[in-house]
Amino acid sequence: MKNILLACSAGMSTSLLVTKMEEAAKSRGVDVTIWAVSQDKAPKDMEKADVLLIGPQMRFMKKKFAKVAEEVGIPLEVIDSMAYGRLDGEAVLNRAMELIETH
Amino acid sequence: MENNKFMSFLESFLLPLADALNNNRYLTALRDGFMVALPLIIFGSIFVVIANFPFLDRVISPEAFAAYQNALGPASAATLSIMGLFVIIGIGYKLTAHYGQDAIYGGVVALAAFLILTPQVLEDVPGVIPTSALGAQGMFLGIFTAFLSAELNRFFIERGWTIKMPAGVPAAVSKSFSALIPITLTLSVFLLIRVLFSFTTFETMQNFIFTIIQQPLTILGSGLPATIIIVLLTQVFWFFGLHGQIIINSVFDPIWFTLNDQNLVAFQAGEALPNIVTKQFIDSFLVGMGGTGMTLAVIVLIFAIGKSRQLKELGKLGAPAGVFNVNEPIIFGLPIIMNPLIIIPWMLAPVAVTVITYYSMAAGLVPRPAGIIVPWTTPPILNGFLATGNAWQGGVLQAVNMLVVMVIWWPFLRILDKNYYDTEREEA
Repeated sequence: MKNILLACSAGMSTSLLVTKMEEAAKSRGVDVTIWAVSQDKAPKDMEKADVLLIGPQMRFMKKKFAKVAEEVGIPLEVIDSMAYGRLDGEAVLNRAMELIETH
Repeated sequence: MENNKFMSFLESFLLPLADALNNNRYLTALRDGFMVALPLIIFGSIFVVIANFPFLDRVISPEAFAAYQNALGPASAATLSIMGLFVIIGIGYKLTAHYGQDAIYGGVVALAAFLILTPQVLEDVPGVIPTSALGAQGMFLGIFTAFLSAELNRFFIERGWTIKMPAGVPAAVSKSFSALIPITLTLSVFLLIRVLFSFTTFETMQNFIFTIIQQPLTILGSGLPATIIIVLLTQVFWFFGLHGQIIINSVFDPIWFTLNDQNLVAFQAGEALPNIVTKQFIDSFLVGMGGTGMTLAVIVLIFAIGKSRQLKELGKLGAPAGVFNVNEPIIFGLPIIMNPLIIIPWMLAPVAVTVITYYSMAAGLVPRPAGIIVPWTTPPILNGFLATGNAWQGGVLQAVNMLVVMVIWWPFLRILDKNYYDTEREEA
């Protein structure tokens, strides 16, 4: 059971991606919990997550989040903007699992 | 190649700027402080909308209508009209939490400090705090007070001054002074500020901040030239895939909310609305058109003229979220970011919409924003109607703007669509 956290300005556009990622996870039988939050809620929710993915439009938050991520001991990455635009749940899910495994 | 170099040069400048504006602790506290107040502001807005339901004043008697409005009045009077109070508590709380100190004290100390600086007499009647001082008029003073009180309180806490108790006094007793001393010192500073200002021609610090800072800034911010520059800057940020609106909001929200509140006061008094550019001018007429850059019009255009599979798929993907002004799929998927062809309509359309909206309101064709805060996720047409105080002209203006955006985008989207279509045919 892995926990994937997504963050953007209001958690709106990342929540679109969450739905697509959940579909991809379900069809492949991967056991994950995926949720999206607004940027101010992200540091708190990181404690419950195994990885943090940041919406590319908020990539200037990475430095700030990186500090918390290091404390909590989870990897983080800015979502690829092509995959974000296509709402490519499968690609983002794969990348998230890869980040968790290689961490 | 030259083009790419220029782009990466621009980005190397914009990214640190976005970082600085968005991660600055004061601007973060300011933005989060407004977030704290937002549910209350929207609650008040809902009841302004209900109290001013269209045509109701013509259906029921004037007495019944007045009673109806009086019954609903406290909803907005206790929230929207005195929003400054909630923003101040929010800022004090968030900034103190940022320093890892007991945040609720940060909130209440900021509030007390603000009330110390606020006039407490109205037309020679003592013991009265005019609610006007707690809304738009006190907004800037409130923000500065919240910053300063949180900083002072933090400073005094970090000094660690305590009252030494003799041995045998329980630890909890001496601890109870740990919050008392910093708060007493902080609030004493504000009392001193109040006394000092009473000797000046400004009489109150409220008046000083209002005259020296708030009035010049709001006059500048309500103008068309400044607004166009801000709109262009937002578009440039987004062109580089950075959330322009949230970056700009953290600086301009105090100005836009203040202008908004001035209109609300006038709207509720039945007077002429002073401002055109307000929070709702930005949120409804610029963002509330499918998201920053009015991309709902682009989606409609894709459905109308799109031939390529890529754009048609994108239209289907982006439409449901676009109706609620969430447009990241379009921005990153079209893509709009870093697309040298699309930069032209991307920069041009919002400026055209800004100018059209401004002048239709200036000419009186469309009522000005009534000071009601409509959530930014409210679909277009409806949010224009609500923002202008239930005026159908607000919705029509958005429809017209939508058409203007489509006309500006049309030639560029056609070229993009043709490129995609040709590539798809070659691949097939």
